Amino acid sequence: MANAQTIARKPGRGLLVFKWTLLGPLFGLLLFILPAFLLQLYFSFHSWTIYLGSWWDAEFAGLGVFRDVLTDSRFWWAALRSLIFASLSTLGCFVAGFALAMAMHRPFRGHSLFYAVFILPMLTVPVVIAYTFEMLLFQRGPINGILSTILMTNVNVTWLAQPPIAVFTVIMLEIWNWTPFVFIIMLAGLSSLPPELDEAAQVLGASRWRIFSEVQLPLLRPVIMLALILRFLEAMGEFPKTWALLQGGPGSATETVPVYLFLTTWQYFHISRGAAMSYLVLIFMILIVLLGIRLLRREKQTIDAIHAKPGAGE
Amino acid sequence: MNRRTKRRIAAAFRFGFLGASLFAVGFPIYWMIITSFKPDNEWFTWPPIYWSENWTLDNYRVVWLGIQARITAQEAFTMQKPLQALKHSLALALISTTLSVAFGTLIAYGVSRYRILSDRRMFNLLMLRMIPPIVVAAPLTLYYSALNLLDTLTGLVIVYVITTIPYTVWMTKSFIDEIPHEMEQAAEILGASRWQTIWEVIFPLIRSGVVATFLFILILTWSEYLLALILSKVDVVTLPVQLSKYEGTTEGRVYGYQAALAVGVTLPLIVIGCFIRKHLVRGFTFGMVKR
Amino acid sequence: MKKAHVSRRKFLKGALATAVAAPALLRAGGAKAGPEEDRIVKASKKYGKASLNGMMWALYWRNYPRLNTEFKGLTGISMDQVNDVPNLLIPQRAMAEAISRSGKFDIFHVESMMIPSLVAAGLVEPLDGYMKEAGFKLEMVGNFASFMKYQDVTYALPTDGNVCPQFIRKDLFENPDEQKNFADKHGKPLKWPETWEDELEIMKFFHRPDKELFGFGGLRDKENSSFWYWMYLYSAGGFPFSDDAEPTLTTPAAEYAADTFLARKQVSHPEAAAWGSPQMIPRIVEGKIFSAQYWDGIIARIEGSPTPTTGKWLYGVPPGSKFSGRLIKRAFSAPVMGLIVNKLSPRKKQAAMWSLYMTTAKNSTEVVAHPTMTFHDPWHPVHMTAPEVEKVYGGKAGMESIRKSLLVTTPPPYVTGYQEFKEAVDKNLSEAYAGRKSGKQAIKDAQEEWGKIVKKIGKARIKKEIPYYKAMMPKMDVPT
Repeated sequence: MANAQTIARKPGRGLLVFKWTLLGPLFGLLLFILPAFLLQLYFSFHSWTIYLGSWWDAEFAGLGVFRDVLTDSRFWWAALRSLIFASLSTLGCFVAGFALAMAMHRPFRGHSLFYAVFILPMLTVPVVIAYTFEMLLFQRGPINGILSTILMTNVNVTWLAQPPIAVFTVIMLEIWNWTPFVFIIMLAGLSSLPPELDEAAQVLGASRWRIFSEVQLPLLRPVIMLALILRFLEAMGEFPKTWALLQGGPGSATETVPVYLFLTTWQYFHISRGAAMSYLVLIFMILIVLLGIRLLRREKQTIDAIHAKPGAGE
Repeated sequence: MNRRTKRRIAAAFRFGFLGASLFAVGFPIYWMIITSFKPDNEWFTWPPIYWSENWTLDNYRVVWLGIQARITAQEAFTMQKPLQALKHSLALALISTTLSVAFGTLIAYGVSRYRILSDRRMFNLLMLRMIPPIVVAAPLTLYYSALNLLDTLTGLVIVYVITTIPYTVWMTKSFIDEIPHEMEQAAEILGASRWQTIWEVIFPLIRSGVVATFLFILILTWSEYLLALILSKVDVVTLPVQLSKYEGTTEGRVYGYQAALAVGVTLPLIVIGCFIRKHLVRGFTFGMVKR
Repeated sequence: MKKAHVSRRKFLKGALATAVAAPALLRAGGAKAGPEEDRIVKASKKYGKASLNGMMWALYWRNYPRLNTEFKGLTGISMDQVNDVPNLLIPQRAMAEAISRSGKFDIFHVESMMIPSLVAAGLVEPLDGYMKEAGFKLEMVGNFASFMKYQDVTYALPTDGNVCPQFIRKDLFENPDEQKNFADKHGKPLKWPETWEDELEIMKFFHRPDKELFGFGGLRDKENSSFWYWMYLYSAGGFPFSDDAEPTLTTPAAEYAADTFLARKQVSHPEAAAWGSPQMIPRIVEGKIFSAQYWDGIIARIEGSPTPTTGKWLYGVPPGSKFSGRLIKRAFSAPVMGLIVNKLSPRKKQAAMWSLYMTTAKNSTEVVAHPTMTFHDPWHPVHMTAPEVEKVYGGKAGMESIRKSLLVTTPPPYVTGYQEFKEAVDKNLSEAYAGRKSGKQAIKDAQEEWGKIVKKIGKARIKKEIPYYKAMMPKMDVPT
């Protein structure tokens, strides 16, 4: 559809003006914010710590600041933690969201109540989530209480005090928070599948599993890619919950890149270092985004192509 | 095993799963709500109190009206500003969302009909959203203070619009794409200008989609924490920032107060969420699904 | 305020509280301003009126409104806006002012350890001139006044002593059965602990996790670990820097301190690694903790209103160590909150006067003695004998523990870049506490990180600061 015919208005200056009017505000805002990025660039090449002088006469450091960051093992550990956090939480969100979407795909009585509850976590402010779960996660708190009742043993997990478990806990929080996002996307994907396919496969005697894996799943691929990529990128930037709950602790078990960046900039006031780190993160994110975009574009072209064929779809 | 038993097992499995999920999702929210109505000696006990016998509105009185049993009202009023925070949060969320959706919808229209942004640029646009806000917070502080935009609603609105525009463009575009071009061609034949076409033909058709987008962006701006924390000082305070101030030390964390504030912060979003849930599914596909 | 929202029960409760508190407030506030206050008022008048803007945590602000109104009536200067920022966030928010240099805040209520960094950032107004002008003399218990100075210049006015005396559960400690059992088990009587080793032995004896009683209630999380560490280190005769500004975190004394720090894990709550005060204080108050070094405000919290452990505590000076060859006892005060005037503010003169007025002997007594808001803890010699303060802080025994602890109280590293130094120690210790590395490795890693920080800040600068930091150490080994 996107490369179908554009509207047959006479081209000319009017059109050009019109196009730029549409884009104008965005470009205006981007131009407006650009100096902040330039300042950031300036910082990353100069050595400035807030309390050691003013920014305009900070010493030029060339690539020194970048070298410092790149040789800082703490930064790499933080990057590794971020990657683990983002991948596992993305995976968790996806599995839970997809399963929910499958279960909710066909309507039943009380469907809309379930639906309304399932999207609630996404509507909850992240800081609120952190504080609420703090109440729930005490060793002598409701979650252990409920688990004890269900499992009939005394569950005494310290959810926040032991490094590996604390990591698990923040990942679970992220999953709890953002499963609805995947759920909604997958639901939209499922409802777009043509029912005739399903019927045809059943008539041919295919098992449910084969229908799912060989008919539905391939058709859902673009939506799945979309959900995974968006979720992964948002998880890489997660800050409020981890910070409000653990400030990177215990030890440095939950010190992800955003947490380390925050510490460097706002606790050590080492602006240059923070800036250099930001740029490295930015480059890294752009690489991921570009990769993601390549995948997404390929998927989109495929579906556009399918739908552009006469008779298909619509 | 015949087919009926098989189907029954499948159904039992399905509803078991749904029930468990309902509990997993609902319980934390239930806990937040019930804590907000508990008196302070029940916030934190073992065994936990799952259902309070002593409901009270005190927590709400304290956080929202500044009334406290132990100190005079005058003292309490000078210290917390939840109503001001509410006002600022509302203004901030509404203004930035309106602007973001207005600009975003126009761009989306341009992309859908005139391809003013190539596919590649469209994807690059998404990148704006993906820069973690923490990355630019420090230079932004410096830049804003030079422009006197620090601690103003304007300053925050600008940042919020920029960070949400990618989503508005993508979401509204998926709605505009669904409208057949014949509609506009007809309008053109009738002599409508481009702007008239947008306003009188396109907009009414995508209204529900725009509403969904609007409310989704409202959720994002309403709950933003980090930038609001760093770019505000005295004159501006938002609810998520206000919330983080209830870390009482000598009294232990004041869970009940926090919960009462949290319910107030979350409730508007939940109400909104229930309104848009049908539209959400449509808006959330970013054009990756064709109907 | 809307009266309609106050239920009758609430109203009666409030009226009762006021009636109880009234005598104390009247005695402190109703009296006429003394000569010191008069001098400040007189000095303030020539600067004219001002509406001030402060960065202060609401829980601290609650003690000031009456004095604020009074000062406004006398001079036209008052704090009209309080930007409520939680304690731990204030250093960061104050430093952010060095980026924006907005002059929007007149007063920062921030911990005094931030003074060197804030001075280096050009944010702090020296106060000696104003003090001289108003005939104000800064008096604090023991050597404590040096916490407010940096290189002999006064930069802050104290509001909160925040020292940590020793808390021990009286009902358990003085129980004859427990005493007999202890004597049978260890072959010596149960006595108030003199050294960290004694303390550990006693805590082990009373550590009964199956009965929800934990031997030790000090903090071991990422924000607070280092405070306890410094106390152990100083009491062992250690110091974190050489005179040449080399970090000395791997000395035998430092190792001993790390071991002492980590040894308390066996008598702590299993969740302690993730707990700060918000989680620990309820446990202390509810009787789940046998002993701890904890902030003196908690004495007022426990004794001021009925709690499960009211009247069930002994207060005293923390134990010490014989590691250096003689017995040294040390306590810690952190964060010591002070009023710091923003040098960039156009109203800095009025702000300085306002701060002075809040800190006079008489007025600060009123602040400290607030019957319910116990965030400001005693620091002035006058507080130690004031009956209204004594009433709030657990009577004679409580006051004596505070006074004695203040006599041997110690600061965290009082040098530029404090936050970074602190965080390096906090992080490594809390990693060791979580079982991620040994104590030895932790201090070795901290030493290495400190080396980098020193290099960044400049050795010369730190070297100049060390004599002043050293001079803040108490003059006596054991308080009397």
